[in-house]
Amino acid sequence: MAEIVEADNYEGIITRIEHKSRKIESLLKQYKPVEALKTALEGSPPKTKDERCKSANWIVVHRAIMAIKDVDSLFSALDPEYYDILMKWKSEKVLLKFQSLSFQEIADKLFELMVLQCITSCRYLYRGLSTGDRPTCDQCLRIHEKLTEKAGLGCILRCLADTVNPV
Amino acid sequence: MAATSVHKFAQCISCHAWSPDLSMIAFCPNNSEVHIYKLSEDKWEKVHVLQKHDQIVSGIDWSYRSNKIVTVSHDRNSYVWNQEATGWVPTLVILRLNRAALCVQWSPKENKFAVGSGAKTVCICYYEQENNWWVSKLIRKRHDSSVTSIAWHPNNVLLATTSTDGKCRVFSTFIKGVDSKDSAMGSSADTKFGEQIVQLDLCFCWAFGVRWSPSGNTLAYVGHNSMIYFVDEVGPSAAAQSVAIRDLPLRDVLFLSERMVVGVGFDCNPMVFVADESGLWSFLRFLDERKSASSSAKYGGSQFSEAFGKFYGQSKFSASNNVEQSRGAHDNCINCILPLAKQRKSSVTRFTTSGLDGKIVTWDLQKQEDLLDYL
Repeated sequence: MAEIVEADNYEGIITRIEHKSRKIESLLKQYKPVEALKTALEGSPPKTKDERCKSANWIVVHRAIMAIKDVDSLFSALDPEYYDILMKWKSEKVLLKFQSLSFQEIADKLFELMVLQCITSCRYLYRGLSTGDRPTCDQCLRIHEKLTEKAGLGCILRCLADTVNPV
Repeated sequence: MAATSVHKFAQCISCHAWSPDLSMIAFCPNNSEVHIYKLSEDKWEKVHVLQKHDQIVSGIDWSYRSNKIVTVSHDRNSYVWNQEATGWVPTLVILRLNRAALCVQWSPKENKFAVGSGAKTVCICYYEQENNWWVSKLIRKRHDSSVTSIAWHPNNVLLATTSTDGKCRVFSTFIKGVDSKDSAMGSSADTKFGEQIVQLDLCFCWAFGVRWSPSGNTLAYVGHNSMIYFVDEVGPSAAAQSVAIRDLPLRDVLFLSERMVVGVGFDCNPMVFVADESGLWSFLRFLDERKSASSSAKYGGSQFSEAFGKFYGQSKFSASNNVEQSRGAHDNCINCILPLAKQRKSSVTRFTTSGLDGKIVTWDLQKQEDLLDYL
């Protein structure tokens, strides 16, 4: 019984990843690499220990990472996008108190949320570096430099310490 | 400058404690000894050396009222030191541990002390008058890993612990015949010894440095993933906040008031966290203003050598260039922070920090105008 559930789960995850992949391809065709990266990072990593799912997801993220030509503009373009994430996080217990805050105060907290999001991308950068592939490593190192400049060393620590969500 | 005095006592300091009148300081220079220094005419003089432990002393606490020192060590033992005419006289406390003792703290009433250990246990020790003997009661089978830090609630019964299994837990330490059931304790007086009140699963990696706010309403602890956690109304309806830190992780925390917390750790610079009117905690700023290292930009390799120096806790790597000027009061990991007050108060403006660089630094917030609002 447990195996069947696992198989269903596998099919579901793969379908989602395929859907995500198509969306990313269309965004890249419209010259929206930042949007594509955001889509790739959304909802990831899939909470599964299945190596096939992880690899499929990584291929999609890798495609989006490699499509980024201008690393500087990536980080300047990311900021305003995080209002959406805030809305998503509002339901989380930890951030319940946001409801009572003014717009300005929320804006101040956005940096913190961005850092949280950075943990996810940081983890993918390390996966990229572990491939040993020259262009991938070049690109990942470039983004890594900018990411730590922007989000500090804390996100590396959180990435290393997170044993619950491996990519 | 927020740092009012910096004094290098040793190569490395594992922990320190102040005497009740703040005239003396006890610290462990990262070996089996405890050195006691006295301030006389603006100079620190070594007055006593407490030698009884066999291995590194990992925790010292000096009681406010009874003037007793308790020390714990990796040798699995604890001693309570009494000052008598001949000097400091030790009494061995049998902890019954099979791993190192890691931290110690007197309870607010000073009739008990708690020891956290690598044996996944917490010892609650109390004095038995009839036997002239310190007895240790163990809280066992509750922690899945070493207990890294402990903190007494002001009511003298609740004890918070952090552990390398990532959890923060709160226990009742009510001992019949030692604690009396009075109304000040509220519902915690009804609980049995060793009963777990709450377990907080916020952190997924090592947790360090736990403290209660002066009133006991808020609990703060830190994780090795560069996070600090604040918990209000500890109990069944606890409300938790996690604050991600931009920089390196913290090792210890201290409440200066109900609304201000100072965290110290691997960044060698105390961080100030404050709560706004709605009770939302956030990082405010670093306490040590460091000049931006403009000189480091001129030298190609200096950034590397500074990092290298930091790594080994030595300043010689950067001595050859001007980076030295940009350093703050501490130049290695800070692992201990204590309030500098003659009694337990609801807010403190002075505190001391010690770390792996062997320095003890006194900080005063009196001239930090932006921080005084939070005291």
